[in-house]
Amino acid sequence: MLVSVKDSISSWFRIEGRGISGYAFIIHRLTGIVLTAYIFLHLAFLTSLTEGESAYTSLIEKTVNIRFLPFDILLIGVTIYHSLNGLRLVIAEFFVTRYHRELFVIFIIVGVVIWIFTSYLLYRFVVV
Amino acid sequence: MEEREVTFIVKRFYRNEWREDRYEFKAVRGMTVLDGLFHIRDNIDPSLSFRASCRMGICGSCGMVINGKAMLACSTQIFDLGTDVVRIEPLRNMEALKDLISDFDDFFEKHRRVKPYLIRKEEKSIEEGEYIQTPDELRKYRQYSLCIKCGLCYDACSITGSNKEYLGPAALASACRFIMDSRDQGEDERIPLVSDHTGCWRCHFMAECSEVCPKEVDPADAIQKLKRKALIYSLKRLFRR
Amino acid sequence: MIVQHDVTIIGAGLAGLRASIGAAEKSDRISIALVSKIYPLRSHSVCAEGGTGAALREGDSVELHSWDTVKGSDFLGDQDAIEFFCSIAPREVILLEHWGCPWSRTENGMLDQRPFGGHSFPRACYAADRTGFHEMHTLYERSLMYDNIERYSEYFVTSLIIEDNRVRGVTAIDLRTGELMVFQSKAVIIATGGAGRLYEFTTYSHTVTGDGMAIAYRAGIPLKDMEFFQFHPTGLLPSGILITEGARGEGGYLLNNRNERFMERYAPEKMELAPRDIVSRSMMTEINEGRGFEGPYGQYLLLDLRHLGEEKINEKLPLIREASIKFSGVDPVEEPIPVRPVAHYTMGGIHTNMYTETPVKGLYSAGEAACVSIHGANRLGTNSTMECLVFGGVAGERAAEFALGNDFAPVSSDYVKEEERRLFDDLLSRNGDERISVIRDEMRSTMERHVGIFRNGEDLKTGLRKIQELKERFKNISITDKGRSFNTELTHALEVDFMLDLAEVVVSGALLREESRGAHYRTDFPKRDDKKWLKHTLAYYTPEGPKFDYIPVTITKWKPVERKY
Repeated sequence: MLVSVKDSISSWFRIEGRGISGYAFIIHRLTGIVLTAYIFLHLAFLTSLTEGESAYTSLIEKTVNIRFLPFDILLIGVTIYHSLNGLRLVIAEFFVTRYHRELFVIFIIVGVVIWIFTSYLLYRFVVV
Repeated sequence: MEEREVTFIVKRFYRNEWREDRYEFKAVRGMTVLDGLFHIRDNIDPSLSFRASCRMGICGSCGMVINGKAMLACSTQIFDLGTDVVRIEPLRNMEALKDLISDFDDFFEKHRRVKPYLIRKEEKSIEEGEYIQTPDELRKYRQYSLCIKCGLCYDACSITGSNKEYLGPAALASACRFIMDSRDQGEDERIPLVSDHTGCWRCHFMAECSEVCPKEVDPADAIQKLKRKALIYSLKRLFRR
Repeated sequence: MIVQHDVTIIGAGLAGLRASIGAAEKSDRISIALVSKIYPLRSHSVCAEGGTGAALREGDSVELHSWDTVKGSDFLGDQDAIEFFCSIAPREVILLEHWGCPWSRTENGMLDQRPFGGHSFPRACYAADRTGFHEMHTLYERSLMYDNIERYSEYFVTSLIIEDNRVRGVTAIDLRTGELMVFQSKAVIIATGGAGRLYEFTTYSHTVTGDGMAIAYRAGIPLKDMEFFQFHPTGLLPSGILITEGARGEGGYLLNNRNERFMERYAPEKMELAPRDIVSRSMMTEINEGRGFEGPYGQYLLLDLRHLGEEKINEKLPLIREASIKFSGVDPVEEPIPVRPVAHYTMGGIHTNMYTETPVKGLYSAGEAACVSIHGANRLGTNSTMECLVFGGVAGERAAEFALGNDFAPVSSDYVKEEERRLFDDLLSRNGDERISVIRDEMRSTMERHVGIFRNGEDLKTGLRKIQELKERFKNISITDKGRSFNTELTHALEVDFMLDLAEVVVSGALLREESRGAHYRTDFPKRDDKKWLKHTLAYYTPEGPKFDYIPVTITKWKPVERKY
């Protein structure tokens, strides 16, 4: 038996009284929802292929643009967080549970470094 | 003795309606939130209902949400909260019955479902004496046996909030307690019970259950152990066939 | 609403749970109702800390355990019952082990045992300092195995239905709905625990208000030896939370303000491990003679555990450390713990024989609610949890046997209507100008002041007058919450009403007993008087107050001698 969407969402995203692993979960859910939405967007783009190659290319060209850069960077950030935290969960669930908080901090640092680097690459790709 | 004027804002479920009551009184150093509630009941509003028994953090009666976090009222000093305004509400993820009393029937029913008792394939007779268990073997599960069934983890867990069938941290920790017990031989019965879609795989490792646990049971750790046990168990069954 | 169960058990602590399992194992044809005003795991039994006594090992014997108990009881315990009790004890410990109790172990995996006050052999089996907690959880979890046990949690029992000296059932308020329920039963077991909340400074949980004793008393069953109330030497300041005797069993010292181990003066041989009545009296003597410490919560003495070392404290006394830090701000690894004698155990209770049978057919009682009597005038540590196990089991089996051989007796609807009227039309609708909490607090301070460790005729007379006056004032209380669901104000009123009756019995019994024996110490009669007072007190209910009668103590092997430690 599932409870109402409203109650589910309010229990997933309750911030009051949470600790570090609680926030990790909340962000994981949020990024998960963003990525799911993005997959649909991505599929929509791909669907344009059914109207021919030119339709797809023109659509894509519109998005490779300095105006879309912040969204792309954000999307990369979301992906990095979701994958690294996912990896942390796998480690905690199947290998070592005890150090999950420490692992979270380490992964955040690693994630930010990767994020900055990939954002820079993306910037070069779009602007230069 | 140090005294301070404090305000308790109690979210009450009274006659099927939610309401908030404010109580102001003088608290002294050493007073717990539970003492505060008793003070209110005895001196300000006798109709205020809450559960309480041992007042020493071992019976698990007085779990409630204090300033947003699930805690045992008896083990929480008012002066340690860092504020003079104390917001109290009943445990969430359970149905409120009256004031700060919420329904634990489902919680205990889930505990029952994991078969929380020693299962033996062959029983030793009383005359043969105790089963031998070394202190090291005892240490493997002792932590999980400390659960007082206060329901704080049930409040903290997001999944119990969104999926009413999920067994929840306390019941799963209890299953783990018996699976890790060297005297228990009930793996074949218990692991299938706790590893279906309502069991350990429903856990997304938010680990907040361990944050709020007043007895350092670390249910999150217990559930991850169950996942490993369940994985190994199903692999073994795969090869046995 | 009426429900039918072959056996109804009131109270779901150690004795109640053990009884339910005992009955369920007897036959799966009988249905058992386990009725409790709280969820079973909230029962006060979880607070038992130190250990459970049983003669298990070489060097110890049932005979020795019995002798220790007889001597501890100051010869008021019934010796046949004590021997019966001690002979079953080892079986119960092993049984609990087989059911999963995480007992502490020796290096080779056997059950470990620790020394305890008044015992001449280290025979306290323990699970760190959470013995009661683990026993409770083990029994509760074991009881989940039986499909014929039905749990009625949060049902407040208000009265026993007895006609023609045969129990017919009980009435109870379903706290959730507030409706009166009738549990029609062939047999009833009362296992509701003691009456510790009669006192101000007490180790008891808030819920231990002696309901079962008072209900039985009002139904005409005598209460036995109620004047004997145990004061535990070490209650934590300021709350009264129990610091287990195990702390002294592991080697803790009691110190006064001159840093002396003062027990040297009172019990040179056993020192801190003398029986509780003696240690508590010695502590009060120290305090009265000015060798206590003065603090914001009154006078106290110190329990020093520092020399045990952090490792041993964490391993064997983790709860003590946790409680001291949380509730007193003192870490026993670094500082001695402030303690004072504290009301801890009701030796008296519902009059039963050694098979837990009361004078009423089909009615049984076990645990602290009952008085068999094996504790006599003073209980030894570790014997209360064991009493719950042994006599809980016996009560369960006996009640099941009775239920198998008898039919349901009819319950008259008039009785139920009258009980409904009493609860809801009378009590619930009271709008007087007395506050329940004020009456309760005055009763507690009266008991504390006049019926404490040291008693005398004058004080007891004043106390009795005061309690009677409070009973009168109780008629004029007001209940503001007129709702039905979880009306904790109503249930608290019932509890206070029960406690006032019990307080009256305790005080009057103490006033009549003109001697000093075990926990009952009269400064005006400081000697034990075996000629006149080697007998059990029985208190019968009358509307005007208790009526007293006396019955002899069963003495088999051990003639009363002077009690020295």
